[in-house]
Amino acid sequence: MKTSLIASAALLALIPLGAMAQDRTLTISVYAFAQDDFKTLVYDPFEKQCGCKLVVETGNSVERLAKMEANKANPAVDMAVVSMADALSASRKGLVERIDPSKLTNFEKLYDLAKDPNGDGMSVGYTFYATSIAYRSDKMKIESWADLLKPEYVGHVAFPNVTTNQGPPALYMLGLALGTDTSDLKGPIEAVGEKKDDIVTFYEKSSQLVQLMQQEEIWAAPIGRFSWAGFTKLDLPIAWATPKEGQTGGMNVMVVTKGSKNQDLALQFMDFWLSTDIQTKLAEKLIDSPANKEVKVSEAAANNLTYGEETAKTLKLIPSAAALDNRDAWLKEWNDKVGQ
Amino acid sequence: MFQNRAEALALALPAAVFAAVVFLLPVSILLSESFRLQGAWTLSAYGDFFSGTLNRTVFIRTFKLGLEVTAVSAIIGYAAAFAIVNLPPKGKGRMIGLVTLPLMISPVARTYAWIVILGRTGIVNQAVTGMGLSDGPLRLLFTETAVFIGLLQLFLPLMILSLISALENMPKDAIPAARVLGANWFQVFWKVILPLTREGLVVGGTLVFTGSLTAYITPAVLGGSKVLMLETLLYQQVSVANNFVSASVIAFMLIVMSFAANILLKRLATARNKR
Repeated sequence: MKTSLIASAALLALIPLGAMAQDRTLTISVYAFAQDDFKTLVYDPFEKQCGCKLVVETGNSVERLAKMEANKANPAVDMAVVSMADALSASRKGLVERIDPSKLTNFEKLYDLAKDPNGDGMSVGYTFYATSIAYRSDKMKIESWADLLKPEYVGHVAFPNVTTNQGPPALYMLGLALGTDTSDLKGPIEAVGEKKDDIVTFYEKSSQLVQLMQQEEIWAAPIGRFSWAGFTKLDLPIAWATPKEGQTGGMNVMVVTKGSKNQDLALQFMDFWLSTDIQTKLAEKLIDSPANKEVKVSEAAANNLTYGEETAKTLKLIPSAAALDNRDAWLKEWNDKVGQ
Repeated sequence: MFQNRAEALALALPAAVFAAVVFLLPVSILLSESFRLQGAWTLSAYGDFFSGTLNRTVFIRTFKLGLEVTAVSAIIGYAAAFAIVNLPPKGKGRMIGLVTLPLMISPVARTYAWIVILGRTGIVNQAVTGMGLSDGPLRLLFTETAVFIGLLQLFLPLMILSLISALENMPKDAIPAARVLGANWFQVFWKVILPLTREGLVVGGTLVFTGSLTAYITPAVLGGSKVLMLETLLYQQVSVANNFVSASVIAFMLIVMSFAANILLKRLATARNKR
C-alpha cells in the first residue's frame, strides 16, 4: 500500500516531464489484486490506444471512498472501481458523476444487472461473482446453507466475518435457510453467535482459506467465486456447493469522480475495460468474471468463473441500499452476538 | 560537549522539525478527533467506547496479553541472556546472531509459520496425539493462546538483547561476591542481578509491552475476529465502520498505555535504585 502510494506520488511528480510526450493523464484507483496481469492486459494496451498516460492507485474499496471524500474539492482520481454499496455511498455523498451510457459503446453488451446496479445511473458493473460454499466432498455433504451449522460439521467451518464482502451475503443466505428473510440479519447472526465457539474462525481474507483447507484445519467455508481457483489447485476433493436456497454474490462497479477534469477519458477507459476483447482476456486468466454477455470462454475457465446469463439471473444479491443502511447495525449486532 | 545550549538546540532542530511535521502534527490532528463532536470539545466518545461490553473486553484482553507477554519474555529473557553472556566470545557471538536472526525475517512470515506449527496437522498436535495425551487434535489456532505464543516469539529477541547488554555492563565479581557472602540463587537474582540490570529490563519491557499492544498482523492472523485486540478493532472501525472517532479513541488509548508503561517501568527501576 505504502509502496503504491509512494510510486503513485513519484509518478505524479514526474507528470510535468511526461506531459511533453503525453498531454493527457488519467488517474484510476483500483483493487491491488492481479495488478501485473491488469497492466499487461488492460493498462498498457489502453495507453497505446489513447496516447495518454495512466496513473494507477491501488487499495480497497473503503479506503478509496475515504480518499475521494477527503479530496472532494480537488479530485486526485478520475475513475475508480468500488463495491456496489460503496458506489451508492459515494453517490449519496455527491462524490461521483452520472454516467452517460451513450458514451459507452459496450454498454448494451452488459448483463442487465451490470448496466445500472444501483438504479441511480451513477455506476456500471464490470464484474460480478457468485458466493457459495467450498467444501470437502469426502468429509461432508452440503445441500443447504444451514448445513454449515450442523453439529457434525460446524467444528470444521470457517465463516466470513461480517466486515468482509462475503459476510453479509453469506449471513443473508443462512437466514433464508433458517426461515428468515430480512435485511437486518438478526436471525442468522444470532444463529452464528450460538455456534461461535465451535466455528474454527471468522475469516477476514479469503486468501487465508486455501492454507487452512490444505492443513485440514477446515472442511468448508463460504467464498466468492473469484477465490475458487486457489482451491482447485489443492490435491483435495473440494466441491462448489449448489445449496437449495441458491447462491448469493456481489458486484464491483466503475464510477467517475465528480469534478474530474478527464471525464471523457475516464469513460473511454471504462468502455475499453468493458469491451468483449478485454473482458474475455481477463476471464480466460480467471481474474474477473465477465459482465459483458458476449464474452465466450473455454469450459475450463467457465468452470472457475461466475459465468453465463442464467447464473447472473439467479444470484440473490443484497440491494446496496439495504447493505448501506444496515452496515453499522450489522456490525453492532455481530459484535454483540459473535465478537465477544 | 557543546559550547552552549543554542548550539545543541540548533543541531537537534532538523530532527525535531521533521518529527513534528510528519509525526506529532498528524497524530495530534487524528487524536483531537476523539475529543470533538459536532464542533464541541467533549469526552463523550470515550464514554461511548467504554459503555460497550465488547470494547471493554477487548481493552482488558489487550492490556492483559501485553502484561503476560512482557512478564514471560522477561523470565525467559533473563535465563537466555544469562546463559549467553557466560559463553566464550565465539559462542556468544553465534548465539546473539541466532537471537537477532528472527528480527531480520518479516513478522508476517514469522506469524504464518505458526499457522503450520499450531494447526490440526501441525507439529504440536502431532506430538500431543503421538504421545497419547489427547484423543484428537487440539484447537490451538484462533485462540488467545495462539496470539500469546505469536507475540512472545515476535518480541522475545528484543528483551533478550536488552538484557544481554545490561548483564554485560554488570560488574563481573558481583555474583561471586554475593554467593561467597551466603546468598542463594534467588537472593542473588533479586538483590544483585535485578537492581544492576534494571535499565535493560526497562528498555526491553517497554519494547515488548508497546510492541504487543500495537502489533496488528499477529493477532489478526492467529486470533482473527475471535480474539479481537485493540489494534484489530481499530482496523475494523476505520476500514469497515468508517468510524474515525472510535478509531481515534483506540489510537489515543494505545499511545497512553505505551507511555504509561514506559513511565511506570522507569519509576519502578528508580524506586529500587533508591532503596
